Amino acid sequence: MEAAAAPWWIWPLVLFAVTFGLGIVAVLAGVGGGVLFVPIVGGFFPFHLDFVRGAGLLLALSGALAAGPGLLRGGLASLRLAMPLALVGSITSIGGALLGLALPVATVQTALGVTILAIAALMWGARKSEHPEVASPDALGTALRMHGVFHDPASGKDIEWKVHRTPAAFVAFAGIGVLAGMFGLGAGWANVPVFNLMMGVPLKLSVGTSGFLLSVVDTSAAWIYINRGAVLPMLVAPSIIGIMLGARIGVRLLRVAPAAMVRRLVIILLLVAGTRALLKGLGVWN
Amino acid sequence: MPGPDEQLVYARWLDWGTRIGLGVLAAAFFAYAFALVEPAIPLQELAAVWSLPLERYLAITGAPTGWGWLVSIRKGESLCLLGIALLALVTVMCYLRNGISALGSGERLQAGIALVQVVVLLLAASGVLTGGH
Repeated sequence: MEAAAAPWWIWPLVLFAVTFGLGIVAVLAGVGGGVLFVPIVGGFFPFHLDFVRGAGLLLALSGALAAGPGLLRGGLASLRLAMPLALVGSITSIGGALLGLALPVATVQTALGVTILAIAALMWGARKSEHPEVASPDALGTALRMHGVFHDPASGKDIEWKVHRTPAAFVAFAGIGVLAGMFGLGAGWANVPVFNLMMGVPLKLSVGTSGFLLSVVDTSAAWIYINRGAVLPMLVAPSIIGIMLGARIGVRLLRVAPAAMVRRLVIILLLVAGTRALLKGLGVWN
Repeated sequence: MPGPDEQLVYARWLDWGTRIGLGVLAAAFFAYAFALVEPAIPLQELAAVWSLPLERYLAITGAPTGWGWLVSIRKGESLCLLGIALLALVTVMCYLRNGISALGSGERLQAGIALVQVVVLLLAASGVLTGGH
């Protein structure tokens, strides 16, 4: 469809439909909506990337805010684990947002394409550890009291957890914050491996704490986009409503959907959208 | 550091704040999209500017930056931004509550982390930090 020729209301409607679908797929694949939203909407919709990144952040933020209470009440997220790391991530996400808005759009688009393709590769080859072994917790993690007992509702068992490599995790979350702010991505795809594989946090607690942590990191970056005027309500509101309704359907389908197939579908979507972003940034496919 | 009680209090504040923010955003967008309130940029003209880089969009439309949208709060876009701003303030309120609670119970490290986070978020929200193409 020719963007200029179409009536204005077509695009919010299509956006609602697409984000509704993304909401379903994101829940089934265990990823945040932002990582799919930014490259797909940035690559195939007429909105400028500046607005799409602002919307992506608000989308990820809304999802994290909505999920947060349940995660905290159910013990699936740990406030004491998230808070120090979220502080670092939120500071660097401000820097990322400022950098993203300062760089030429072709540079951001190209870097986005490379990042999305890297995420697809990460998802393809990612290892996971249900209950990682932490032989001896490090001093910083101990000082910050990053330990506890996690009750796994699936197995009914209580799992004692502690962390190691905390200084390295701080550095990792600083980098993740920059990427989240610069590209408007939720960054759950990066949080979970850092919690789980680097720090040794049980997988389910890693996923839940990542979901909560996004609500802090994305808030600070979102304010930069809001204050710069890079938030278009006509883009943001239908997307948030669409992805939240889609996520509700996704949760219902969670028991019956073939998870491995959905995950492969997400990787393919990321490959297509990442390639599109890269080629658009390089001026090969506009 | 926060124990289960603090975590539950945080969850309660987060829950209510998010409900209010999303409710305001949904109602405001309904009014905006169905022309129940006047938009600052006519909806028919929006498609001509949403593909422009931010700087050009702002120059052409005169859309507000910072907290300037509060001045035109009766316009559809500003009402939507009110909902968005409420969502972006929820975490500030939760951390403030958490920090004060930790301070009261002598948890200095926890209170310090929470209150520094509040300062960072307020700094981001203040509009002091700017940049651009």
